[in-house]
Amino acid sequence: MELRWKKRLMDEGEINRAVNRMAHEIIERSDRLEGVVLVGIHTRGIPMAEHLSKLIKHYEGVELPVGKLDITLYRDDLTEIGVQPIVRRTEVPVDIHDRELVLCDDVLYTGRTARAALDALMDLGRPSLIRLAVLVDRGHRELPIQADYVGRAIQTSRSEVIKVRFHSTDGQEGVDLLERGS
Amino acid sequence: MMEAVQIRHRHLLDLEDWSASEIESLWRTTDAMVEVMQRKVKKVPALQGLTIVTLFFENSTRTRLSFERAAKAQSAEVLNFAAGGSSLSKGESLKDTLKAIDAMQADLYVVRHGVAGTPHQLSRWTDAAIVNAGDGRRAHPTQALLDGYTFRQGFRGFDGFRGKRLVIVGDVMHSRVARSNIGLWTKLGAEVVLCGPRTLLPTELGHWPGVQRCFRLEEAVEGAHAVMALRMQRERMQSGLFPSLSEYQARYQLTAKVMEHAHPDALVMHPGPMNRDVEIEGVLADSPRSVIEQQVANGVPVRMAVLYSLLVGRAR
Amino acid sequence: MRQVIKDARIAGWTEGTEVADLYWREGVIEGVGVGGEVDRVWEAKGALLAPALIDLQAHFCDPGQEVREGLAAGMKAAAAGGFGTVVVMPDTEPVLDDAAQVAHLQARAETLGGVRVRVAGALSCGLNGEQIADLAALQQAGVVLATDGVMAVRDGHLFRRACEYAEELGLLVQGGGLDRNLCQAGVMHEGRVSERLGLPGQPAIAERLALYRDADIARMTGARVHFGHVTTSESVELLAWLRAQGAPISVGTTPHHLLLSEESMASFDPRYKVFPPLRPPSDAKALRQALIDGKIDCITTDHLPWTLAEKEQDLVQAPAGIAGLETAWAVLYTALVVPRLLTIERLLGLWTSGPARIMGWKEPRLLAGEAADMVLFDLDTPRPVEPMGFFSKSRISPWDGQNLCGWPIATFVRGQCCFTREGFGEASGTSAHRVGPL
Repeated sequence: MELRWKKRLMDEGEINRAVNRMAHEIIERSDRLEGVVLVGIHTRGIPMAEHLSKLIKHYEGVELPVGKLDITLYRDDLTEIGVQPIVRRTEVPVDIHDRELVLCDDVLYTGRTARAALDALMDLGRPSLIRLAVLVDRGHRELPIQADYVGRAIQTSRSEVIKVRFHSTDGQEGVDLLERGS
Repeated sequence: MMEAVQIRHRHLLDLEDWSASEIESLWRTTDAMVEVMQRKVKKVPALQGLTIVTLFFENSTRTRLSFERAAKAQSAEVLNFAAGGSSLSKGESLKDTLKAIDAMQADLYVVRHGVAGTPHQLSRWTDAAIVNAGDGRRAHPTQALLDGYTFRQGFRGFDGFRGKRLVIVGDVMHSRVARSNIGLWTKLGAEVVLCGPRTLLPTELGHWPGVQRCFRLEEAVEGAHAVMALRMQRERMQSGLFPSLSEYQARYQLTAKVMEHAHPDALVMHPGPMNRDVEIEGVLADSPRSVIEQQVANGVPVRMAVLYSLLVGRAR
Repeated sequence: MRQVIKDARIAGWTEGTEVADLYWREGVIEGVGVGGEVDRVWEAKGALLAPALIDLQAHFCDPGQEVREGLAAGMKAAAAGGFGTVVVMPDTEPVLDDAAQVAHLQARAETLGGVRVRVAGALSCGLNGEQIADLAALQQAGVVLATDGVMAVRDGHLFRRACEYAEELGLLVQGGGLDRNLCQAGVMHEGRVSERLGLPGQPAIAERLALYRDADIARMTGARVHFGHVTTSESVELLAWLRAQGAPISVGTTPHHLLLSEESMASFDPRYKVFPPLRPPSDAKALRQALIDGKIDCITTDHLPWTLAEKEQDLVQAPAGIAGLETAWAVLYTALVVPRLLTIERLLGLWTSGPARIMGWKEPRLLAGEAADMVLFDLDTPRPVEPMGFFSKSRISPWDGQNLCGWPIATFVRGQCCFTREGFGEASGTSAHRVGPL
């Protein structure tokens, strides 16, 4: 499948500002910041969670633990797809029982990844609360799922693809809109 | 670091046609499965709706249990079929037996059979995937995968298989575990030394690239990074393959003293079931060098990874 | 009835692509180009006419296991393979160790008509290797060969006495086989491949040892001993040496040992399980060379049919042996004569004069006054091996699906046509009638 670049949606500065705002919102909305655990969904939810953790430490002096969550084994399409997703190790360094979690991902689209992530988190323990933070909300939800913290909401069509890049995973940073070729 | 690759095999019959990078990818999936097995809820929905049938023509409760756990931990349905060789000799052909079970609509069969090649034969007669859980003397690929995984996980400062030396001691001739491990370790660049009485070390195996035979245990173990003792079966004495158990013990029992010749970090392995104080000294099996328990524990995540790799992403 | 085969290349008569007509009346050849009124005309259209083939070793499993083959199916399969004479083996249920059984079997074959069935009788009662069978009575009933089968007679003493007894009767003995103890539970040739596949092997020495003992007993007793399925290079050399020392022995091998090797077992397909087992490619090559050198006197099919259900088992349970009558000539012609590794004359000799000499029969030739036992081969039209279309009840072939040349298209025994391949012979009586595609 060919992907055609359409336009840049966010540059590095815009990403920083959006994540900064989300960090402040997280600080504002949590009753007990020390109890919050940031959980990034593989692959690009992880640099986002790490970014948020760094900013929160900078502003509040509190270091929030960052967990890595792989949702592959919880996908609802495993028997329907023709390629085999690579399973990565889930590493959540603290017991999430009774903790407040912020689940982080780069893009919120159909909501199926978030659904899988919720199931995965439930198997790890019983958190007191889970909130969802995404850098980009592009709409087209197929499940009743909403983000609590959104970097930017963007109108897209289904033929379009949002590509998020982070320094740690891609060597560069930015959000681009691409179009699927025929 | 090797890139993870897609595993494209329909079956796991043996490891002959699996590449080193496919094996490494499988072990990375195993890493993820190890984490799953450490959770409170040891169950993920990955194989929901799929049916796995264990087809054991030869009894092995442990292997079957390990596969069953691996399947159920991924929410697959598991049906067990235990067929004694005798029920088949009552006139039903192997193919007809399989066709009858095929009516259960299995997605994957886990097959154990006393004769080499039977899983290969079955794979010609069904659309389901087949995992070889041990066939005759030929192969026991999931055992070799878990042995290799245990070494990769447990050897201090592990930096790959290249230049490592595995010693397999005992009845190599009748051992599918030995054959599969020889194939796996040499594929990954390790050297394999086979040790035991000459009657149990087939000459031809010693001619495989990367494999040598050695009839003296101390010599064989010299500088080894892993030493695996094989189960010694008493029946072998009756078939004239060696004189007596006491002579075998005296010459080939793996002891702490023998292990002094090995690399200081060498691991002691045993595929089980173990005859304590026959092929392996009891205290050595319980010593810190021994990873025998880890081998058993790793059986489940390795088999989870195998089932995942064969069943996911198969839609046409 | 007087018949003619027109426009045939005739073995022993014509050269190259030259054709001629061969006439016969009832069961006796009249000659080439003699002309005159005929009742039936067969249009050969350049096909090769040769004496019908002789197989010294086929198992028809009759009486007892007709589900595997039976006399009627076996005879049809033989005719379809171009054979005019077949020696059937005594490992039946009951064993052919009884003169009445043998006479009855032969009478049944006569009634059925077609291929000539000759009987090999048991060397020992019940093939048990303990007591010599009534060889004189068996011979009188028609037995042409005494054998205990593929496993060597356990007791060397018994074999020696049987040879002495048979020598005095002038009866041919089949010896050799495999040494039971050395074979153990092996299902294939012991060596590199068996070790890799993890299948229990049987060492080549199991054959050589049995051959040596029996061939040397032949030398000692003067009995004529035939070795029907010699499969290794060393066995061939050993027997050639013993023959040079004066042992009155003869040597045969099979198409599968000539053309296939132990490597086939890597498919874990029981159709490659035969007895003796398939050997390394170097042995097959040496056997092919021995055909040229004359160290091998004949080829036998060792046609050993099993039902599909019997073969579709694991490699220990699955029985050894394959049906070979219908493919034997075509596989060898395609693999050896087409690539010019062997002349067609030599291949014909290995299936006609070779076995006849071993049996002490008249050399089969297409000459006036000789029996009209003939086969017509279409040397050019390739056709795939289709086991489902076999006359044999055993629908399993290692050559399944392969395109072969040289197929027999008609077989005549005692002057009577007992097989035509589809499309052949429709032009009977008049040459104006179009012959359909073969």
